[in-house]
Amino acid sequence: MPGPADKLSFPPGTELVFGPQATRRQFISDRIAEVSRGWGFTEIILPAFDSAETFRDLGGETELYNLVDREGHRLTLRADFTLIAAKALAMELRRDARQIRASYEGRVYRFAPSGHGHRVEQTQRGLEWVNARGATYDAAALVMARECLDAAGAENAIIVVGHGGFIHAVLGEKGRVERRLHEALDHKNPSRIAQLAQRIGIDDDTAALLGSLPLLTGGPEVFKAARGFKLRPEADAALAELEGLYQLLDEAGAADRVLIDLGEVRRSDYYSGFMFKVYHEAVGEELGGGGRYDRLFDRFGMDVPAVGFGFNLARLAEATSRNGYAGGTASAVAASEGAKGLKRVLELRAQGKPVDLKGEA
Amino acid sequence: MLRMALPTGRMLKQATPFLEAAGYAPAEPLSDTRKLTVPSKCGRVEYLLVKPVDAPLYVEQGVAEVGVCGKDVLMEVGADLLEPLDLGFARCRMVVAGRPEIERKLDNLLSPVRVASKFPRVAQHYFFKKGTPCTVFKLSGSVEIGAVLGLSHYIVDIVETGATLRENGLVVHEEIAECSARLAVNRAAWYAKLAEVRELLNNLKQAVEGGKP
Repeated sequence: MPGPADKLSFPPGTELVFGPQATRRQFISDRIAEVSRGWGFTEIILPAFDSAETFRDLGGETELYNLVDREGHRLTLRADFTLIAAKALAMELRRDARQIRASYEGRVYRFAPSGHGHRVEQTQRGLEWVNARGATYDAAALVMARECLDAAGAENAIIVVGHGGFIHAVLGEKGRVERRLHEALDHKNPSRIAQLAQRIGIDDDTAALLGSLPLLTGGPEVFKAARGFKLRPEADAALAELEGLYQLLDEAGAADRVLIDLGEVRRSDYYSGFMFKVYHEAVGEELGGGGRYDRLFDRFGMDVPAVGFGFNLARLAEATSRNGYAGGTASAVAASEGAKGLKRVLELRAQGKPVDLKGEA
Repeated sequence: MLRMALPTGRMLKQATPFLEAAGYAPAEPLSDTRKLTVPSKCGRVEYLLVKPVDAPLYVEQGVAEVGVCGKDVLMEVGADLLEPLDLGFARCRMVVAGRPEIERKLDNLLSPVRVASKFPRVAQHYFFKKGTPCTVFKLSGSVEIGAVLGLSHYIVDIVETGATLRENGLVVHEEIAECSARLAVNRAAWYAKLAEVRELLNNLKQAVEGGKP
């Protein structure tokens, strides 16, 4: 054995995948890339890090990986693609304002404590649809996400749709700043929600709705259930928007794998309109998600409506043990055959067949 | 069928009559078995018997779709899961305790207080939020000794009646949280097994509202 084994290990949370598993994951990514191309998307290759300034005031600062270069510039490894893509596309839009469809793949970095099985390095494939305003684009993004899941072999995945504006409107000015209330809603914990609503002094009507939000998950019946509560006009508008989106999907025959979750609060600050997450019964954590973020470009001084989504490729691969990927049985060719063997390899490859050149030359 | 992570030990004794009342009686006595999984008589649930502190992880990772977890353990582990029902049993309080004459007040101090606990994350987080610097010692049992013999100024621990504290001459200085057994649900299962999880939730809710089983 050459040297101690600990010299060969990587820090916890890093991602190392090798062999058929890695090949299969690349296959999944390729299939999603094909879907993206089919919808007219082009690839965008983005920087792995940017000025720390870009990621300021976004929350989750303690999870970022920061570094200082030799000249003292403070940099941050990308923790998310959307922001860095938006920045890149903002430059492009300044040159030529138009609709842009961009898809990407790569790693993101976010600190995760060890012991939970969470990764610091995660590989994502996703896309941004920029200057896409209106419900048709919302529905199109969901239909496309669904096609990506099919192509990856995750036909049983469930798309859970909520609305960033709805939860904001329900919480109102008072509730919006209450981090603990967000947490209680995020954990769908009705007794804690009720306790906090009282402590904060939220009115009875709103408190009743907040307490019921954890159970407002399901089919289109949740819209009716939500209307049983007294809603602020903005909440009502967001609900109508979401219901319209559901109807659009339903009429297009694409609502069968969609669930509504009016109690979804995670990243609700980020999404101005519909938002969604993808789950699969074989994997405990979400496979991906996305939504509409019309205020994203505000920070670059531009008013640009956009939708987008991304998938976590490792989790997607976990959910899709059968997805049409097959290595195929390769024809063995002995390296000792020299020119004759190489000729045989060329013939096989010309027919697109897999080869396995091996042995001593 | 849903798999339910059940903590072994003290909580199991309280959970069993509760689950029976809710219509999910185990097919064989859970406290006697050496098996790791036991189905319910009705066949809707399979119990997975695990150490209390491990239960949240099994649920978070989706190995078990649901679980019974103490709030104290949920706070310490910090797992990312749903917590839709307070099951009401195994009630206790998570507190900061210490000797009554302790001079170190819990106000903003400039030198760290020493805290011993089986719940180091909870302790660290609590003092951090107060802006009080602290050094946390993780102990595995008999935490009271930490404060009695001066390893630490304070302990962070759960108390039911407070008898153990009193016997050791300690008092509660601050309360961190009220704890009880909770139904924990895996995020993916909440959606992917919506109907099954809802049925379980409703039955357990009825058992909670029906009073002490």
